[in-house]
Amino acid sequence: MNPALLTFQKLWPALAAGTVGAFVPRRSSRVERLGIALAAAACVLFVTMLWPDAVATEPASTLSNAERFPHLLSWLVFIPIVGGALMLFAPRQATKTVQWLTLGIMGAELVATLFLFKLTPTEGKYWIEESTPWIETFGIRYHIALDGFSYWLIVLTSVLTPIATYVSFGSIKTRLKDFCIAFLFLQGAMVGSLVALDLFLFYVMWELMLVPMYILIGVFGSTDRVRAAIKFFLFTMAGSMLMLAAILFVVLKYKALTGEMSWDLNDLQRLNFPLTTQRWLFWGFAIAFLIKVPMFPVHTWLPDAHTNAPTGGSIILAAVMLKLGCYGYIRFAMGLFPHAAHVYGATLAGVAVVGGILYGALCAMKQNDVKRLVAYSSVSHLGYVMLGIFSRNPASMEGAVLQMVNHGISTGALFLLVGVVYDRRHTRDLAEFGGLAKVMPWYAAVFLVVTFSSIGLPGTNGFVGEWLIMSGAVLSKGTLGQWGRSQAMGAALGVILGAVYMLTVAQKMFFGPLDNPKNRKLPDLTRREGIALAPLVVLIFVIGLFPRIFTEPMHVTIEPWIRDFNARVEVPPVELATVAPKPAAPTPTPVPAPAQGGE
Amino acid sequence: MTRPVMYALVALWTPAIAALALAALVPLRKKGWPAAAVAIFSSLVSLGSAIALFMDRLHDEVPQQLVAPWIHAGSTVVAEVGVRVDGISASMLVVVTLVATCVQVFSVGYMHDEPPAAYGRYFTLHALFLFSMNTLVIAPNILQLFAGWELVGVTSYLLIGFYFKKPSAARAAVKAFWVTKFADMGLLFGLLVLFAATGNFGWDAKLSHGVATAVTLLFFLAVVGKSAQFPLHVWLPDAMEGPTPVSALLHAATMVAAGVFLVVRTNPLFAQAPATRMVMLGLGAATALFAALLALVQTDIKKTLAYSTCSQLGYMVAALGAGSMLGGFFHLTTHAFFKALLFLAAGSAIHAVHSNEITDMGGLAKKMPITASAFIVGSLALAGVPGLSGFFSKDLVLEAVEGQLSNVPYAALMLTAFLTAFYMGKVVFVAFFGKPSNEKAAHAHESGLSMSGPLMVLMVPTVVAGYFGATFAHVQGEHYHFHFGTGPAVASSLGLAGIVLAYFVYGRGPRTEQPAAVALVDRIAKTRLVNRVYEYGFHNVTLVVASGLAFVDRYVVDGLINLLGYGAIEAGRKARPIQSGFAPDYVLAVVLGVVGLAVWAVFGSWR
Repeated sequence: MNPALLTFQKLWPALAAGTVGAFVPRRSSRVERLGIALAAAACVLFVTMLWPDAVATEPASTLSNAERFPHLLSWLVFIPIVGGALMLFAPRQATKTVQWLTLGIMGAELVATLFLFKLTPTEGKYWIEESTPWIETFGIRYHIALDGFSYWLIVLTSVLTPIATYVSFGSIKTRLKDFCIAFLFLQGAMVGSLVALDLFLFYVMWELMLVPMYILIGVFGSTDRVRAAIKFFLFTMAGSMLMLAAILFVVLKYKALTGEMSWDLNDLQRLNFPLTTQRWLFWGFAIAFLIKVPMFPVHTWLPDAHTNAPTGGSIILAAVMLKLGCYGYIRFAMGLFPHAAHVYGATLAGVAVVGGILYGALCAMKQNDVKRLVAYSSVSHLGYVMLGIFSRNPASMEGAVLQMVNHGISTGALFLLVGVVYDRRHTRDLAEFGGLAKVMPWYAAVFLVVTFSSIGLPGTNGFVGEWLIMSGAVLSKGTLGQWGRSQAMGAALGVILGAVYMLTVAQKMFFGPLDNPKNRKLPDLTRREGIALAPLVVLIFVIGLFPRIFTEPMHVTIEPWIRDFNARVEVPPVELATVAPKPAAPTPTPVPAPAQGGE
Repeated sequence: MTRPVMYALVALWTPAIAALALAALVPLRKKGWPAAAVAIFSSLVSLGSAIALFMDRLHDEVPQQLVAPWIHAGSTVVAEVGVRVDGISASMLVVVTLVATCVQVFSVGYMHDEPPAAYGRYFTLHALFLFSMNTLVIAPNILQLFAGWELVGVTSYLLIGFYFKKPSAARAAVKAFWVTKFADMGLLFGLLVLFAATGNFGWDAKLSHGVATAVTLLFFLAVVGKSAQFPLHVWLPDAMEGPTPVSALLHAATMVAAGVFLVVRTNPLFAQAPATRMVMLGLGAATALFAALLALVQTDIKKTLAYSTCSQLGYMVAALGAGSMLGGFFHLTTHAFFKALLFLAAGSAIHAVHSNEITDMGGLAKKMPITASAFIVGSLALAGVPGLSGFFSKDLVLEAVEGQLSNVPYAALMLTAFLTAFYMGKVVFVAFFGKPSNEKAAHAHESGLSMSGPLMVLMVPTVVAGYFGATFAHVQGEHYHFHFGTGPAVASSLGLAGIVLAYFVYGRGPRTEQPAAVALVDRIAKTRLVNRVYEYGFHNVTLVVASGLAFVDRYVVDGLINLLGYGAIEAGRKARPIQSGFAPDYVLAVVLGVVGLAVWAVFGSWR
């Protein structure tokens, strides 16, 4: 067939969507029509191109990922960081220039992220890896890699950071350049933490993340910002110190046993510690990550930080930074100390259900400050993610990773929406609102959609994630012990509580008479806010209706990872620390072991 | 893809496309009438394919299904979506699409005074509802049924809260959502237990006795919520805050019947759990009687019908509990027709007099002949007058219940039949006969064709559906013959007695006081005991616990952390005097240090 015709045949759904998109808007601005048409076409293109069957039919390239896309991950890490450094020379007064430059850099990052979709997932291995010596005296390497755990989180970061930045331009009027630079560094550090495999590099990126967020809360936040920023910093720092001590212990032990220094996760994973040592080291790592998640009882920094952070900061904090706690727990705490993680998994799952899902939901019910309420709902939702991780079977793990993305989208959108009314009324007190559906119909509609996503309505993303986690947890007698099923039921109870607090918000804000005179003239969503929200709303439905696109790339990593983990747990812990021999291949292949299964 | 599957897909997707188009194409929705046209057109297409599907089922009894994987975990498929074509889904699909089409056409006239944007929103939600309900009806597994179940819950929430500016409507919407969501927990738990036991969500699994009882009891909790059975019936009367056509479609004919449909659908599971069935039989009969008593004392025409719906759903649940799948399902079908007819006729009357109270009506039979005849035919069917559809299905229910649990449910349902006839007689005599009670009632006139048309259409199945019992049973793969025994004779004479009694009490001019028995029920009903238990449970238990926890979180959990910070600051403050700033102090410290080091150097090396 004619190649042009063939291309057309491939592209027609996107073209159709674009045509529909061009006719949708009521306002006659050409730019707007074009924008919506492009967005619609891109969405459809995304679904069609990523559809698992479509991907499978493409001829597999003979080249490896690293050969096809050299230094892709480095680009991802350093585009924002170098961009942020270059922004230092941008003219402070030219606010438009600063805004466009920032968005340009983030756009470049987004384009670089698109190449991730072109990667061929490799079963049980890192899909793409880079490793060069960095500080040779101490054996520190620049080792970064990507697999099914970090894949979607990086995409999430690249999508949400520009949205958060773009929407902030509406409300941030002073120190704009500082704000942009903080955001760029934050993005680079987050991506860096997601790809770092060298513990030193990871620690650097992990701490680097704190600084811009500290500035965002402390400088651009609301009334109680300084205290909240210090609290946020100290909490995270306290955990990080424990992790640093544990890292040093592990590295020095490795040196004592092998005679060489390495901070590389792959090397350090060969260490076998006795169970007692593992327990101490595990808690060193786990506390750092669980503070970040955050899990009861170390979650109290989150409501304060969220309440005082600016909208953009809240979005990034909720959408990406919390996920780094979950991600770090999987990659490092579980990866380095399987026995201890296995021993404590069931107990921690109980904490995640009672202290996270249920406690968070009940606390959320009685909050008057909308942002505080959403912060507690985050505690509740992250409880699901952690339950999925502790349950440790394919369904629950994939559910957990998907739920991280889901929470990023829905809670990110919720914070954005709360920011919208805060910009107009400078209050977040629920009692101040009521009947807003009359003056802000679009706002109310979007808020309801996001609410339904947050309470896990079928057809939206929340349902798929929660459902995978619960159906995994109910089958995980092997990991959660006899309480596994009760914990799944507790999680199900949380779904109902979620409906109670989220719908209370909707009722108090949007329904009833419009009796507060200050709310009479509130403008509906501006174009900027609409553009920022549109991709989130679309993603809510895309994930909810076609979850396969998102879970497919995880399979190749998560299933072998769980097999490998179970095989390591099955070997009884050693009496004295030993180190396993280096595998022959440069990248360790997981030991194929009989599947332990869930039951 | 076979032809029946294609019909099912058309019936499912047309309303979905309509809803999507109306949601996305803003001008179409904001304009109002195009939205109505699109929604009604999609319902008609859906109805057409549903009828074609039903016709097909008359010849072909082999179930067919088409499923696609939806949610994967690893290499296993956790959830599938698709359509299943068999007698149950085909029959229910016809009922749902037929009533939906009638209600939407009726709404064209009924909602005429709404502003165009609200009008468009209304029809968009209707299209969404039809899609959700069809998703539920033709689900090939319980998970998809659950998805549809939740979606109809949301559309119900949005439609009850349609007049969201009214605080009572907003509250009723949230109440309905919370009560049903609380009950949905049962379905969710049940699905998890079922998944843990069998690894899938089919309804034809062989389960051990304990698991079957657990799963079905949990499912039944969801049924109690959705089908407004005692003690979770409290949301249904409040849900009457929504527009009347919505009450007709969602809260009388289809959505509330979804609970009963769930039991019909998962009958193979319920058949394995006799204990659950006993519970259902008892609770169904109790609800039927209890709700009928409450219906007796309502003066709001919609609330009477709402309690009547609870009561009739109780019949269905009791029939299913007695093991008669056909009885429950047949009564569901006939009830859908005559209750939708009653609600729409009530809506027509309300539209004319602008009040829900029957005392504000009166004498409407002369002014609104079509509405009145529709309401009367519906009432007679509901009362179980021989020859009309309700008679046949109610008889099937009573036949199934007879002799079970030492005939207590049977007696309760018989008494309910009498009460039903009595309260419907009351409404008919007060609202449609006698003298007009005020100016508006005196000047009422028949509604336009868009409202009277659907009434006439729905009157047909209300009258004749009973004669198709054999066909209906054949499609389900069961057998049915009607034989006029003592049961039907007693039930129908009780019904007639109720009507006659209602005539003597209410039919001869206005009454100032209630009969003593009714007044007693009224006083009990006014205590709102069940509602108050829930309000107490929510405000004085859940919210108190929540505020207690919120306090603990803020001042105890966080307080401890803050105490740590405070301790560090205090320690610093206490340590501050050491740095006095006087040179002699530092010199002293240096000297002490040197001495200390010297001592260590001399004596420390001994070790």
